Amino acid sequence: MSNSKLYKGSLNTIILKLLNEQDKMYGYEITQKVKALTKGELNITEGALYPALHKLEAEGLLDVEVAKVDNRLRKYYKLTETGTKETANKLNELAEYIKTMQALVSPKLA
Amino acid sequence: MTLNEAQIQDLYAFTRNHYVEHYDLQTELVDHLANDIEGMWKENPKLSFEDAKQSAFKKFGIFGFMEAIEQRQKVMGKRYRNYFWRELKQWFRLPQILTTLGLFCLYYVTFSSSYVAVFAFSFYVLIGAWCIYKGIQLNRQFRRRKERSKKKWMLEEMIYKQAGAITLVFMSQLFNVFNITDKFVENIYHVLGLAVLFTLLTLCNYISFQLIPDKAEDLLNETYPEFCL
Repeated sequence: MSNSKLYKGSLNTIILKLLNEQDKMYGYEITQKVKALTKGELNITEGALYPALHKLEAEGLLDVEVAKVDNRLRKYYKLTETGTKETANKLNELAEYIKTMQALVSPKLA
Repeated sequence: MTLNEAQIQDLYAFTRNHYVEHYDLQTELVDHLANDIEGMWKENPKLSFEDAKQSAFKKFGIFGFMEAIEQRQKVMGKRYRNYFWRELKQWFRLPQILTTLGLFCLYYVTFSSSYVAVFAFSFYVLIGAWCIYKGIQLNRQFRRRKERSKKKWMLEEMIYKQAGAITLVFMSQLFNVFNITDKFVENIYHVLGLAVLFTLLTLCNYISFQLIPDKAEDLLNETYPEFCL
């Protein structure tokens, strides 16, 4: 991610959350979706995205399928049952983290 | 505007030139680059394919495809080890455990004799020679498979070319068989330990050089179901 190192630890959560909403997505689609949702504020770099996707796949959180689109093969990622459960856990963890950070940086808002 | 077949093949060659040798990862990266190029053409239709390709590649950062390759290798290495352990565990369950016990008894009896040094050396050389023979044979098989399919899969390469990598390390630690003295048989724990080590060495080599390559097709289909090999 080029914008900030602060986002780096949340990359897996971002991917899981998007897949939770979209059923299945391919790598390029994920980068474009994040860009659109954050109005260009957050760019997931390709160099970080694919290692993260492959790691999540190895952990059994993602399943893959390949389809022929136009004149090429496209690899889609989708959540497994474990992945869906893990998404909920990760989102809870992230919410807790945001709450803690808010309490630290702006105590009045917390 | 979409990429034509020649441009897709050019992207495959481009990934190969940037050290992405395996078809599964190549396919994913080619689609990514193609999508990015098509996205750029929407905004600037006059942009050349070559410039768009370089621009798309730059987005992967200074390490290019390296991070994706390394992560993929880690994932496939883990998968290979899982298959290996799955096979090894079978040799400690019925009925294979009977063979394992038989093998252990053979080693234990021979290592308990006063010819322990001769036996240990002979078994070591025998296993080593068989590993070299199988290694050469598997390497040839891998080359033939690659020529036939024109594609290379990461797990396939691990099965055929890196077979025995685990046991080579193991064997390098067993070089002490050359220093066995007559006093060795006096200590039962030494004999037991050596018999266990040789049993494991035999099983590990048999699994990685024979069993896993024999099941290569099934394992590749299990690993890459999306490509329907």
